[in-house]
Amino acid sequence: MSRVVVDRSGPSLLDGYRSVVGEGPIRILESLARRLRGKRMVMVNSTSTGGGVAEILHRLVRLLEELGVPTTWEVIPGDATFHAITKTIHNTLHGAPGRLTEADEAYYFEMNRQAAAELDIDGDLVIIHDPQPAALVLQRRNPNQRWVWRCHIDLSHADPETWGFLSPLVSMYDTAIFSHAAFARPLPVPTVLAPPSIDPLSDKNRELDAAECDALLAPHGLPARRPWVTQISRFDRLKDPVGVVDAFALARAQEDAHLVLAGGSADDDPEGAEVLAEVRDRAEGMRDVSILALPPDAHLTINALQRRSAVVVQKSLREGFALTVSEALWKRRAVIASAVGGIPLQVLHERTGMLVRSIEGCAYQMTRLLRAPDVRRRLGAAGRDHVRDNFLHTREARDYLAVFVRLLERREVHTA
Amino acid sequence: MTTPDFELEGVVHLVRPAFLEATDLESLRAGIAASDDETLFLHALQCRLRLPAAHEHPPDDFSAWVNGVVQDRETAERLLFAAQRRGGTAEALRASLLGVLETVPEKARRARTAPAEATFIFLAAESVRVPTGVVVSTADALFAALGEADASVWFYHFIERPWFDGQAPAPATWLRAIGEGRTAAWLEEAAAAGLPIEMLRRQVLARWRRRHLGRRVADLAARSDDQRRDVGHEAVTRLVRRLKQGGGRS
Repeated sequence: MSRVVVDRSGPSLLDGYRSVVGEGPIRILESLARRLRGKRMVMVNSTSTGGGVAEILHRLVRLLEELGVPTTWEVIPGDATFHAITKTIHNTLHGAPGRLTEADEAYYFEMNRQAAAELDIDGDLVIIHDPQPAALVLQRRNPNQRWVWRCHIDLSHADPETWGFLSPLVSMYDTAIFSHAAFARPLPVPTVLAPPSIDPLSDKNRELDAAECDALLAPHGLPARRPWVTQISRFDRLKDPVGVVDAFALARAQEDAHLVLAGGSADDDPEGAEVLAEVRDRAEGMRDVSILALPPDAHLTINALQRRSAVVVQKSLREGFALTVSEALWKRRAVIASAVGGIPLQVLHERTGMLVRSIEGCAYQMTRLLRAPDVRRRLGAAGRDHVRDNFLHTREARDYLAVFVRLLERREVHTA
Repeated sequence: MTTPDFELEGVVHLVRPAFLEATDLESLRAGIAASDDETLFLHALQCRLRLPAAHEHPPDDFSAWVNGVVQDRETAERLLFAAQRRGGTAEALRASLLGVLETVPEKARRARTAPAEATFIFLAAESVRVPTGVVVSTADALFAALGEADASVWFYHFIERPWFDGQAPAPATWLRAIGEGRTAAWLEEAAAAGLPIEMLRRQVLARWRRRHLGRRVADLAARSDDQRRDVGHEAVTRLVRRLKQGGGRS
């Protein structure tokens, strides 16, 4: 089956989001959706489970349906060869080494051609997510349709050959949507930016009471009475966990606290295991540091860790959008983060958090925030508001609807 | 000729990359000089919609970058002041920002370079108007509807359109047309004060309620106890709804 059946059980999503963002933003969604009445939308991506894209599509498709815009979600079928080719495309677009052969390219086109015959892509708006199904646009059957390419990948370091292969396809769309300006590439078609977003109703972000937090954190034996400084990230050199330990060591000399570094277990990631060993090595002999290797589905534990932390750090050297920052801000935490990637959109220096550029700067802000609960509260409150207004799923849905309204109205102007 | 009713409109901004970057104060200066009005609007004004509930005036993107990334506090402060000056056109805003940057000696403008991962990326906003379907025909109805409206409705009517059009906010113009000239005048004045959106909302609605307090007390005095109880009940219901919906906005 290529069509994904979205779970519609449980209470209305619109009501859930309304309780979080208030009536006003929901009315804007409803107003935009009214202009799309009678139009049908089709989303196409490469998987219905796992990963951020599938996660948001499960929510978005249901939300659009509740708003009265019929929306279906198709997954492009493919065999192992196709998946190996699209993995190469994905990795090389991220800047990893690799190359597509002519045979790979031909196979990719053929699989997309076959998929077009199988998938229901006859909606008024067809939204293709990421490169895997991008060549479906070649099979566009109706000139009145509008096709949008939604890229969730950072293309700033894309391999020129792979981008050279993909960009002529993207240029056949009516609009391309990227997550961040730095990830976008110049194209002959209109380009729109829609930052990614978090789901306030998900396990990772929903409200937890004190008893739930206690139960979730009890197995980890963290000191309950001392303030925690926490970084939650996979063990990757670009997240600079060793730098966090160094900054904490400087801050700890002045202020009592406990450092928590939590990330994936790194069992299937040789580089991650190496970095984890480096971090353990650097923290050896420091009784105030806990290093937690968490399983990939530890969403509730991460939620509880963030809620219990006095300060959340994201001291990355390079970043994508870094939604962990929005997750912490949503929980009213004081955040210290590097000014890289999408972080400065989320952390407005001295307003919603602190931006730093060095280990010493990070240590200074740790000490400062640990000593000033009132500053932490002020930043936390402003951070929560900032995320509510800019980085929740409701905002991403609003951006999509606005793009679709603009595209369809343009068509109506052209055909009038 | 009768004055047509007034419909509240919100706005959604489609943000587009301008494919122009700044790595230091000099390239920021060059970028501002080359930017179109939609780019200046996005970086200097639209930030107010991104932080509608701020207690202080939200920083514009230029000064926020100079403060947070370049970490030149003095220039950041002066840019912030320049961006917040009221009543300007796009051209005046551009000149004002360039004026600040040009007082920094060229050598100093090039002295502090942003890290490669933290360059300033110029963007532009394309506005998609969102008619809300809320149509009013009296001043009372207008203020009641504004009380319930999304922040983007306030932004669109009181900040965005006046800046692009160089005219009074549309609700004020409409109030004048229906004979509410004094109300229009103070509404215009409040909009021009440059307040964060939720603060503007609170001030405008509080003033409107104060103005009508005497009239409402007199009206209620003439009603029966049951009617007064109903009115009180409705007011409390509205307050509870607003508190629930507004979350931490107040």
